[in-house]
Amino acid sequence: MGYLFDPDNWEWLVTANNLEFLLEGFLVNIEIALIALVCSLIGGLALALARLSRNPALRLVAGAWVDVWRNLPVLFVILYLALAMPTSWREAYENAAPGFLPDVLQTGRVFAALLALVLYNSAVLAEIMRAGIQSLDRGQSEAAAALGLSYWQRMRIVILPQGLRRMLPATVSQLITLNKDTTLVYIIGIQEVARHGRILTGYNFFGGVQAPLLQVFIVIGLMFVVTNLALSRLSRHLEIRERERTGTEVEPVMGLEDQVATVER
Amino acid sequence: MSSWLELLTDNFDALASGFWVTLRLVVASFAVAIVVGTLVAGLRIAPSKWLQRLGGVYVETFRNIPLLVLLIISHAGLRRAGVPIGPWTAGVASLGLYTAAYVAEVLRSGVFAVSRGQIDAALSLGFDQLQALRRIVLPQAFRTVIAPLGSITIAMIKNSAIVGAVLAINDILKEGRLIASRTFETDAAFFWAAVGYLLLTGAATVAFRQLESRYAIRR
Repeated sequence: MGYLFDPDNWEWLVTANNLEFLLEGFLVNIEIALIALVCSLIGGLALALARLSRNPALRLVAGAWVDVWRNLPVLFVILYLALAMPTSWREAYENAAPGFLPDVLQTGRVFAALLALVLYNSAVLAEIMRAGIQSLDRGQSEAAAALGLSYWQRMRIVILPQGLRRMLPATVSQLITLNKDTTLVYIIGIQEVARHGRILTGYNFFGGVQAPLLQVFIVIGLMFVVTNLALSRLSRHLEIRERERTGTEVEPVMGLEDQVATVER
Repeated sequence: MSSWLELLTDNFDALASGFWVTLRLVVASFAVAIVVGTLVAGLRIAPSKWLQRLGGVYVETFRNIPLLVLLIISHAGLRRAGVPIGPWTAGVASLGLYTAAYVAEVLRSGVFAVSRGQIDAALSLGFDQLQALRRIVLPQAFRTVIAPLGSITIAMIKNSAIVGAVLAINDILKEGRLIASRTFETDAAFFWAAVGYLLLTGAATVAFRQLESRYAIRR
């Protein structure tokens, strides 16, 4: 305890630009999470629609795909792709990566990490979306069909707006998991917050360190706790506002995100 | 494909030992998670505001911190601070304490899923608070939490890969990586490691589904 709160061990926080260096790394994590989230939402919706399609072969393939990626550790997929991804894919990514991204995110290695996060999270989100769509009364889709709406019109106007509203809480808790999972790219050597923390606490030429490891990683942990708490607060706020706006109790989809924290009621 | 089978037979001992290590890691962490999770859930439903707040701080901290950061804190961080903690202790403690936050939340919501009227009824029949909790609330709470506990367990099996990657513990993924770097057969080595994980997550899925069909009540 004495060690933990010793002011000498916290001096690094205000020394030079150490804190700025950590925050710079943390920004990379946030960016990775956001890019992966957007791609996973698109991929997840496609997979969910495939699982609900009328074509049994498509249903089967999509179901097997989702089950495999959902049940493998995401770190496993990251490490595999980092080792096994063809060089041509990396080069293609490096050439195609938009210039506004920071340099760290333009390397081919990041593509392996992003692809792994998207494969995993799109499978999880697909299950959440499927449940959200299926939780709607069948009559809604039938009524829309009876009114002459095509499949895509039914999805866009009737089914998705309601289904997606029900999956908001589960999606936010998956986003929190995704945010935490971005630290895993540390293991394949991407310059994000945990790597920056390791640099700060690495032994230098004289055998000394710039900053104590325990304290640095407690600060890194706090960055995630604060961000993720804010995310869950925001989600609860949106849920309540939505309830007030529509005047109806929306029954959210639960139990399909990666880490469940509530019981179905 | 025949070379893939060959890789399996050649490296079976290594893969099996990795599988065994992951299994032990998961079982030990599960025990920690259940014990600590129950205690924290107890804090969160305790009659004192301060105890509730303490439980809340535990849950929000351990649920929102990345497991990788927790592992670095509990092993490298504590060792640099002079605490001689080994990789197994640090790994089991981190994975267990991390998962305990989820277990606590599930148990708490399981308790709250039992309607208030039942507790009032028990109290009016002359049960005291603890008796009502033990005889009326907990047996029902346990039954509603089987399914979410199952998905927590599966998530924990997957998270155990992070423990092996950060600490000196040779789990399935680590053994797979070692085989890949020794033989250059990355695809085959990772394929068999994946089979190991899918066996574990599949077994957990089946086991919890069995438990659920036997005991669960849906409301």
